[in-house]
Amino acid sequence: MTLHLDRRHFLGLAGLTASAAALAACGGPSTTGGGQATTQAADIDFSGVKPAAKIDFWSSHPGQSQDVEKSLIEKFQAKNPGITVNLVTAGANYEEIAQKFQTAQAAKSGLPGVVVLSDVWWFRYYTNGSIIPVDSLTKQLNMKMDDFQQSLVDDYKYDGKHWALPYGRSTPLFYYNKDHFAAAGIPDRAPKTWDEFGQWAPKLKASSGAQYAYIYPALAGYAGWTLQNMLWGWGGGWSKDWDITCDSPESVAALQWAQDSIYKDKWAGVSSKEAADDFSAGLTSATIASTGSLLGILKSAKFNVGVGFLPGGPKATTNVCPTGGAGLGIPSGITKEEQLAAGMFLDFVTQPESTVEFSAATGYMPIRKSADMSAVLAKTPQIKTAVDQLAVTKVQDNARVFLPGADQEMAKAAAKILTQQGDVKSTMTDLKSTLQGIYDHDVKPKLKA
Amino acid sequence: MTRQLSPRPFTRPADPGAGTAKIPRRRWTARSRRDFFVFLAMALPNLVLIAVFTYRPLLSNMYYSTLDWTLGSPTATVVGLDNYVTFFSSSDAPKVLGTTAVFTLVTVGGSMVLGLLVALALNAKVRGTTFARSAVFAPYVLSGVGVGLVWLFIFDPGYGVLAWLLRGLGQQSPQWINDPQLSLVMVILVYVWKNLGYCAVVYLAGLQSLPKEVMEAASLDGANGFRRFMAISLPLLSPTTFFLLITTMLSSLQAFDLIRIMTPLGTGTSTLIYEAYLQAFGAYNRAGYSAAISVVLFAILLVITVLQLRFVERKVHYS
Repeated sequence: MTLHLDRRHFLGLAGLTASAAALAACGGPSTTGGGQATTQAADIDFSGVKPAAKIDFWSSHPGQSQDVEKSLIEKFQAKNPGITVNLVTAGANYEEIAQKFQTAQAAKSGLPGVVVLSDVWWFRYYTNGSIIPVDSLTKQLNMKMDDFQQSLVDDYKYDGKHWALPYGRSTPLFYYNKDHFAAAGIPDRAPKTWDEFGQWAPKLKASSGAQYAYIYPALAGYAGWTLQNMLWGWGGGWSKDWDITCDSPESVAALQWAQDSIYKDKWAGVSSKEAADDFSAGLTSATIASTGSLLGILKSAKFNVGVGFLPGGPKATTNVCPTGGAGLGIPSGITKEEQLAAGMFLDFVTQPESTVEFSAATGYMPIRKSADMSAVLAKTPQIKTAVDQLAVTKVQDNARVFLPGADQEMAKAAAKILTQQGDVKSTMTDLKSTLQGIYDHDVKPKLKA
Repeated sequence: MTRQLSPRPFTRPADPGAGTAKIPRRRWTARSRRDFFVFLAMALPNLVLIAVFTYRPLLSNMYYSTLDWTLGSPTATVVGLDNYVTFFSSSDAPKVLGTTAVFTLVTVGGSMVLGLLVALALNAKVRGTTFARSAVFAPYVLSGVGVGLVWLFIFDPGYGVLAWLLRGLGQQSPQWINDPQLSLVMVILVYVWKNLGYCAVVYLAGLQSLPKEVMEAASLDGANGFRRFMAISLPLLSPTTFFLLITTMLSSLQAFDLIRIMTPLGTGTSTLIYEAYLQAFGAYNRAGYSAAISVVLFAILLVITVLQLRFVERKVHYS
């Protein structure tokens, strides 16, 4: 036979294959029709179950925690010689680890024993039935739930059950360059309100030589998280319960103030990649970043670093700080033996000694009330500010943490307002419409009546 | 397999209207059988792999595009063409299709035009051309992730090299990363920089295979360099141009790594393939909707390739 593959046929074949590859790349596992996702809320009975000999721990190493995670695993294995925990770098951030976890769910294979899940992902895993409630495990393993920081553990509560346990938990902190503040004759403390900082900012910019007095966190990061501080300070928010309120006059006023600080008053900017790095590099006199960035900033900054509570606004000066960060969950698609081993690992890494070690290495908050932080605070007293701020935190708006893709939409809207000087009211009106659509389509049908 | 596989040449009946004329039946000969089994032995493993890893997922994806399916969820609802209707009636569709068109046209045009100019420069017989050719081609073989990260440092408006240069001139750096329009410009510039080496090398090969006697004859007739290029080189390069047009367009429409690394949110840079990624894996987990966007991309790639083969190739001079 002759195979007539000329240039024309070759190019045609190349086109077809490329098209097919583009399509195939976006494929996934097969599903069957018949209704939306279900949740597995039933208690699991672990009596008589023996823990698995090996589990994977998927982490994105929040706060550059790879070394301390290895150390904790070694200690766990020494205490539990029959269980091996394999630490897997499953992504560089919460989104990448979520992507890998969701894909493994869809493929129904390769699931870990324990997975790091952020504040915006665990609810989706719950609605998909991808994770189990940890209550039966905490009961069986006699975990002291009343010793956990109540607000942190309750962040994972829905439908009367806990769907994860806190791990690398953080709040945003106000970071400032003490040298710049001193040179400008400004008190050595974080501002009480944004208006107060607005009065300081021109002096700071004039005397410091820095590009900005304040830099807003990178929008591709978690704009929706940190902007809650301003929205709440002005009496607004992304939502109140399930009502989307991002276009309320208070919310619009807050974001208008932020826009004015960039375009009208010209003392603020927006970070392109990582505000903590911009701050450490001396690009700005102040910023807001996670407590998980604290040790990195202290290590890399060549100036005296000050930290303080987040500033308030004209309507609220306290409880304007959201909690955030990561928890640990256990997949539903693994064996009971693996789930039990995972539960034992969760029990170990949330012990007071473990959370102290984790906090000391990363700057994240201790998650247990009985954690003895004295040695850590003696070495890094700034961590105390983060711990103290925990008492004045506020549960995040539902729209940000429970609506799939809401964080992305909030970041896009913030980009329009803060980098393109878009009209605040119309941008927020559009955002409301988008968020409402997500709620109606992706969340409302899955909520318990 | 039919008997048309006979090695004997097929002769069409002289009278096309003679539909009843019998086409001589071909018979399998020992040689044709052997050839056929050799063909099967060579091609079958590849065909099986392509079927399993490309065409089966392709068909599955088409099926998923008819589902309302949240990635990670064990169940889904069949919604027919709703995902397509949602995409084309959303305000995102014009943005995504527009971004895809701008990105593809500018990167294909930029890579080919600059690639041709670079090839002309590299075709000159001067010292250092071997090094220059390697230098021009090197970015093409570099990892897109690495290239993206390095260029992000260059474009960073805070402490990037470009910002430093501009500050030296008393200028503020544009917001390359935060401004959606500038983000697209940034990604296009880097994409063209990375890929023009490929076009340059292919064009260089084309230039070096042009018949020298034709050029010499044109020179003797008094044609200057520009005239020789426009009247002789460019038409004779048309097979190369056609080949590059198809291959660079296909790769531009599938560009992913640079966009993912340089603009993770896809603000201003969300092409069809990136939008499909964002919808399924980015944050929304709308696997069915994402599959529908992928099918739209598939259809566009197919149509473009067919149109190019059907119409553009007519303009090509193969000899």
